[in-house]
Amino acid sequence: MAQNINPFLEQQTTGIVKENDISKRPQSDSHAVTKRLHKELMTLMMSPDKSISAFPEGENLFRWIGTIMGPKDSVYETLKFKLSFQFPNSYPYTAPLVKFITPCFHPNVDTNGNICLDILKDKWSALYDVRTILLSIQALLGEPNIDSPLNALAAETWSKKDDYHKYVMDMYKEVQIN
Amino acid sequence: MRPLARQELPTKAVFYSKDTSVSHKIMASASEDVETTRGDGGESPNTKDDEKKEESLLECNICLDTAKDAVVSLCGHLFCWPCLHQWLETRPNHQVCPVCKAAISKEKVVPLYGRGSTKQEDPRDKVPPRPAGQRTEPEPGNNFSGFGFGDSGFHMSFGIGAFPFGFFTSTFNIGEPRPNVGPHGSPQYMEEQFLSKVFLWLALLFIAWLLYA
Repeated sequence: MAQNINPFLEQQTTGIVKENDISKRPQSDSHAVTKRLHKELMTLMMSPDKSISAFPEGENLFRWIGTIMGPKDSVYETLKFKLSFQFPNSYPYTAPLVKFITPCFHPNVDTNGNICLDILKDKWSALYDVRTILLSIQALLGEPNIDSPLNALAAETWSKKDDYHKYVMDMYKEVQIN
Repeated sequence: MRPLARQELPTKAVFYSKDTSVSHKIMASASEDVETTRGDGGESPNTKDDEKKEESLLECNICLDTAKDAVVSLCGHLFCWPCLHQWLETRPNHQVCPVCKAAISKEKVVPLYGRGSTKQEDPRDKVPPRPAGQRTEPEPGNNFSGFGFGDSGFHMSFGIGAFPFGFFTSTFNIGEPRPNVGPHGSPQYMEEQFLSKVFLWLALLFIAWLLYA
């Protein structure tokens, strides 16, 4: 169990708190989160879909690395993107923090890899999981939301396919993790 | 069990396709692919797969585990009560079903009581008990039937006059209707008839005795 502790919780435990006090409530919560994350990992591993994958980063179940292939018939088609997932202790009641690790030129992704996607913000539902998030982001790559851009340049050039393609390729570089 | 799954998935897809936002379209396609994989599994004679599917029909939509203290929203989606309660607590101003985004509230969920479900109730310290099922009593039949004093309800008699001649009496009878007279021909009916005759004769004899005394 020790390795599956939420980083947020870890910070708390290093404080003044006594052993008995901390473990009562948060542990039962984080146990439920761990259980759900385990289930999600199982379904992802059983899934026949080769274009998306995700796995916990190291020993901590609260941090995952996800991979998506660019959607077919889009500028991103041959590209592989890595994303980081950070699950809060309140998961799945609140959305995980999802970021692009691989630099991605896209109207709804900023230069730090932050993603603007409704289901990760106000439209989040406890029903969504890593798989559906990955599928959503994959689809977002092919169908950007031009009206609320994080990257204004990408939003402007979206209609000019050749320029856009060049930008995407300039920015893209494969990232190796461990 | 399988037709249930078939019915549920298309409705999801219909719902999402109504919505124009990108993410919802994705969810629609995602649920479609779930449907196809389920369909494929159903064709194979693998009993383990079938069992798994039947289990997943009873899984909570939030913790993805078999629903404990199960409740169903009015839109028909199954949850553990602790899970749903926490979901509602997370967003008190915007209470929607996690599956179909229909408006839901604590008062509008129905608990599911399986056989022996009360035994395995675990002590939950911070989650309030799940709302109880509502049970309304059937309407009492309107079969008031005339004479004889019942033994329930409130009766009050009120009279003017000297003892034997209580002619101006009135009776207030507040409360439940009187118990039914036994059906014709039944032993209860016969007994009642007999008793009423006996008391009638007794009363007449008593009056006659008073007059001649």
